[in-house]
Order: sequence, then C-alpha cells, then structure tokens
Amino acid sequence: MRASATLLALLGLTALLPSAARAEPKKSVPTGSAAVELVRNFWDLVSSQQGDQEPPRPQPQQIRAAPEGTPPVSLSDLSNPTEIESKLKDALEPEDGVMRVTVPDGTARLGDFSVGSAESLEGHLLVVHGDADVYGRLHGNLLTVDGDVIVHPGALVSGDILALGGDVRNMGGEIGGEIRTLRSTRIFAPATPVILAEEPRALSTVGRRLAGVFGVFLTLAALGFGLVVFGRTNLEVVSDTVSHSFGRAFVTGLLGQILVIPTFGMLIVGLVLSVAGILLLPFAVAVYGLLVVVAALGGFLAVAHAMGETYTRRRMAMGVVIGSANSYRYLVVGLGALAALWLAWSLFGWVPVAGNLIRGAAFLVTWLLATAGFGAALLSRAGIRENFAGRLIPPEALTDEYLWATPQFGVPAGRRPGNRTPTRGL
Amino acid sequence: MHRAALLALALSLGAGTAAAQDMRAFATFRQLHGETRLRAELDYRAGGLRVAPGRSNELYRMDASYDATRYNPASSYDAASSSVSLGLQPAGQGGLRVVSQRQLRQDANVAFAPDVDLDLDVTLGAVDADLELGGLSLSRLVMQAGASQAVVRFSQPNRSRCRSAEILAGAADVTVLGLGNSRCDRIDFEGGMGRVTLDFEGAWTSSSQAAVKMAVGELTLRLPRRVGVRLTLDRFLASFEPAGLVRTANGFQSPGYDRAERKLDIAVTTAVGGVKIEWADQR
Repeated sequence: MRASATLLALLGLTALLPSAARAEPKKSVPTGSAAVELVRNFWDLVSSQQGDQEPPRPQPQQIRAAPEGTPPVSLSDLSNPTEIESKLKDALEPEDGVMRVTVPDGTARLGDFSVGSAESLEGHLLVVHGDADVYGRLHGNLLTVDGDVIVHPGALVSGDILALGGDVRNMGGEIGGEIRTLRSTRIFAPATPVILAEEPRALSTVGRRLAGVFGVFLTLAALGFGLVVFGRTNLEVVSDTVSHSFGRAFVTGLLGQILVIPTFGMLIVGLVLSVAGILLLPFAVAVYGLLVVVAALGGFLAVAHAMGETYTRRRMAMGVVIGSANSYRYLVVGLGALAALWLAWSLFGWVPVAGNLIRGAAFLVTWLLATAGFGAALLSRAGIRENFAGRLIPPEALTDEYLWATPQFGVPAGRRPGNRTPTRGL
Repeated sequence: MHRAALLALALSLGAGTAAAQDMRAFATFRQLHGETRLRAELDYRAGGLRVAPGRSNELYRMDASYDATRYNPASSYDAASSSVSLGLQPAGQGGLRVVSQRQLRQDANVAFAPDVDLDLDVTLGAVDADLELGGLSLSRLVMQAGASQAVVRFSQPNRSRCRSAEILAGAADVTVLGLGNSRCDRIDFEGGMGRVTLDFEGAWTSSSQAAVKMAVGELTLRLPRRVGVRLTLDRFLASFEPAGLVRTANGFQSPGYDRAERKLDIAVTTAVGGVKIEWADQR
C-alpha cells in the first residue's frame, strides 16, 4: 500500500517536472526531447526510491598530504594495477575521518575533478571518489579510484591512465600512454572481499558423503564382478593368499608401497640411459602405472572377497541356509563390510572429535586391508602363484604307494598323482 | 512422504554448492600514435584466449576476466623499443584450481593493430587458445604451447611478409589453419606429444619451407593441390601413407612439383606415431 502511494507520488512529481520546465523561458536543450526527459526523470526517481542510486560523491576538494613518515604513493608507474591498488588501500585509509595521501610530483583530489580546456596541469593526478573530466592538457599520469576518466575532444593526457573501479571514456582526446581499467576496486571494500565457498550444512554434508560412499561401493562392486567373470581363478588365489598368509601379505604390501616410487625411478633412469629405451618411455610409464593400479585395486577386491567368503562359510557352518555361496556374494558381503565404517563416518562425521576418530579408524582399516591385498597380489604374482594360498595338497598326492610298485620291464612307471609339485609344507 | 524426503535430500545436496571466486575485469589498450612496428609478448598461463586483429586506431588491446586470487594482469609498454608485454601471470601460488571448471574460466581477448608490423611471441600454459592471425601484419611469430589446445588461424592473407613462424608444442593439441595465408618464408614446428594438424591451404604468394619435428603423436599435413609439395621424411616408428605423393630419391613430391609456380618443401622428422597426408580439396 505504502509502495503504491510512493509510486503515485513519484508519477505526479514526474508529470509536474516537465511542466515546470516549460514554464521557464525557452532555452535550448542539448540532448533528447521532452518525452525522453520525462522517461529519464521517471526512472531516476524510481531507482532513487529503490535504493539503487550510487552514494553521493563527496564535495570536490584537495586531499592533503600525509604526515611525515607515511609512505607516499608514486604514480610514475601504473603498469601494475594490483600493486598500485594495494598501496592505495593502505594510504587512503582515513585517519580521524580525514583522508590524507602524498603523491610525489602530483596532486590528489577528492570528488569530481576537471581540467579545463584552457588549463595545463603538470604532474600526476589522483582522483578519489569522483570522475576526472579532461578538457585541457595533463602532462603526467592519471589515476582514478571509484570514478571514470573522460577525455574530451581536443584534450591531452601525456602519460598513462588507470581507472580502479571505473572506466576510461575517450571522447576524441589524445592519450599518450597506456590505458588500463580494473572495473572493480578493493580499496574501499571490506577487509575480506573474497567470497569463499558457502559453508555446507550438516544434512547436505551427510547426504553428499553417503552418495560418495555408495558410489564408490557400486564402482568397486562393478569392477569386482568383472574380475570374477574374467579372472575368477586369479582372484581366488589372491583371496586365499590374503586369508592364509595375511601377515606375510601385509609386510610385502608395505614394502611394495615403499618401493613403488624408487622402482619407477629406476625404470625411468634405466630406459633413459639406454638409447632405444627412450622411445619406450611413454609406454613403460603407462604400463607401470596400470600394473600398480591393477595390483592395488585387485588386491583390495581380493581382500573383500576373502572377508565375504570367511563370513559366509561361518554362517553356513552354523547351519544357515544360503542360496548361492559364490564369489559374487563374497564380494558384495566383503565390500559391504568395508563400506560399513565409511557409512558410519558419513552419518556421524560431522560430530566434533568423534567424527574425526571414525574417519581415522575407517582410513586405517582400509589402508591395512589394501596393503595386505596389494601384498597378496605381489606374492601370488597377480594370482598366478599358489605358494602362499594355503591350497591343500590333494589326498592322493600324499600316498607313497607309487614308491612300492613292482617295476616291470616295458611298463612305464605311473606318474605321481596331482598336477603340481608342492613347494611348501614338505 | 517418501517423495518429500527425497526432495528434501536433493535440495539439501544442491545447497552449499554455490561458490564464488574473485573474478575481476581488466582492460588495457593504447592509442596508435604513428607506430609502424610492435613487438608483443603475450604470456598467458591458464584459461581461454582469443587473439584477433583489432581497431586501426589502437595499437593493442586486451580485455580480460581473471581470477584475482591466483593471477595478475600484465600490461607494460616500452616506447623506446616499441614493445608490449601482455597476459596473465601467476600471483604467487598460480596454478590451476580444480574445484569446478566452469567457475575457473578465465578469458582474455587480445587485439593488435592490423597495419602495424607485428613481431609476436606467445607463451601458453594450460590454455584453450584461438589465435586469428590472418589480417594482421605479422612479421614474425614464435608460439610456445604447454598443455594447451590451440588453434592458430590465418583466415585472411597476412598483410606483410613474414620472416618465420616458429611453433613449439609440449603435450598439446595444436591446429594451424591456412598457413598458405601466413606469407611466412619459413615455418618451424616442434612438437612433443599430442595431435597436430598443419593446414597449408591459403593464397600462396611465394614459396615456403617448413620443418616439422614431432616426437610422439599424430601429425596431419593438409596440402593444397595448386602448390608443388616436396616432402622429406625421417621417421622411426611412425606410419606414413603417401596419399598421392610420388616417391623420389629424396622423399616424396606432388606430381606437378617441378612445374609448380609456388613450392612448399616440408621436412618431417617423427619418432613414434603417424604422419597423415590430406589434400585440402578433399575435405
């Protein structure tokens, strides 16, 4: 209601303005017609009511020199706008409500300032909180803070022009130097103008973390299923190695982590030293990186497999009927167990102290298991070697009956049963 | 109820992502005061860059929007040597911010006076660059591109004769279009890894020589039929398909090479990858 009343009053006032102008003796209007003026006045008044209008400019006046001991602001080099801005921010800080600055070989002005067409100003010019209108000649550099520079036809600025928080409008004058503008200035801005990312809220944080954990779980599950489909035997061997030789796998994994980078360095140096090897360098780098990633990821999935298998078998031993006890189930169960700690962190990570403790525990457990998995992958040569997998020797391989067979001429001795030579446990 | 819960969760996830960075707008230019030549160094480390011919009454101009927390604008003119340094240089920490590519976007538009002899030295970091050099009076070009994606165009003939164009690319994807318009006596390209396309189409006004060195990657040479082309090839593990070039004692050449009014001699050295020949009228 109040707003509409204000608007009506504005319209009435606006309608009166042109009639008042007409009442005066006729004089030439340089630009625009009455209709244009009407619209312009209307929008000026509306914007002033809406608070969009810029704060009023200060009364034009000279800025007095700063007290002795205060560093001056030189305008002789305007090539680094941000540095000048930084110096001015300190220098233009009002003391006791009064702005003071010393400009060597120049003058400093507050508010709008103009150089008349018959004037010739020597030295640099600083204009703060105002526009600089140059009609005449300025022999020096010109710097405005929170104001525009307007170089009118026939005017001359012999040096550089810098507008901090303003624009440079050349209406046909001559500018001898370089023109630079920074559209915004921090000189009169609050102390911390940089807006950083908004602090996330607890609910959104929890949601984001849950989504992240779920995404990682799904990704690992997809990779694991692929591994089961295409490399089930290797996965099972690595998994058995983790189960049967966990300590050995962990130590191997730890050593592997320590030696990954030195080994990579040696590989690079070796290839560089051999002339032909240089050409293989990009491929060697890619292959090495791929092998490390595959070993780490495959080892981690094997750990999940081992965990799932152990849990499932224990439940079956307790008499629980499980429909399909296969590698897919083992992986899902194992990954679920691994994700449980991270889920706890997702839900309670925002709690002070406890959240950090949960995260630390989740990280530690994940690292321990990943290290063991990596070591198992190394020990088993990516599931090729079964030496540490604890595979039982088939019972028939333990018989010594073949040693007692009566040799007969023409009949070759029977082969020892089993297709492998046990290297461990004998 | 479930829908409401899901909606609330989605909204809460959406919240908190509104982040801002300290982007600032910087502009610099210089009026033309009768200068006839300009040596320009353009050093641009990250973001998008466009270079094009500018107004005839301005010697140069740069309009940039930059991340003030990481970069500072550079703009310095030396009247004695008639040289200018432009670009965005790291402010201390520099580097790339990896929060959001959309938020990071720095952009700069650089323009040079078309009638002033230009000696241009461009250094690019991680930049998506589009350099339209056709229509300028380019007398010399040196361009070093790091991990950039750069397109250099000569859409119009160079207004003056160019002594040389030297392009050095690291791990970059570089395309140079319309080299026939460049009017460069000599073109040198040296690439590390990546994909490179050199298009020699254009209004050939004189013969030219080009040396192309490529370590690893794919090199495509797009050749005009109206110019006699001779190609010498030094390769190790690189494939090559002559695509109409005739084998000679020293290499390959186009069928009408000896009779051609304008000739282009290209020396290619490549280690790993492939050299592909395309004819400009086959596109």
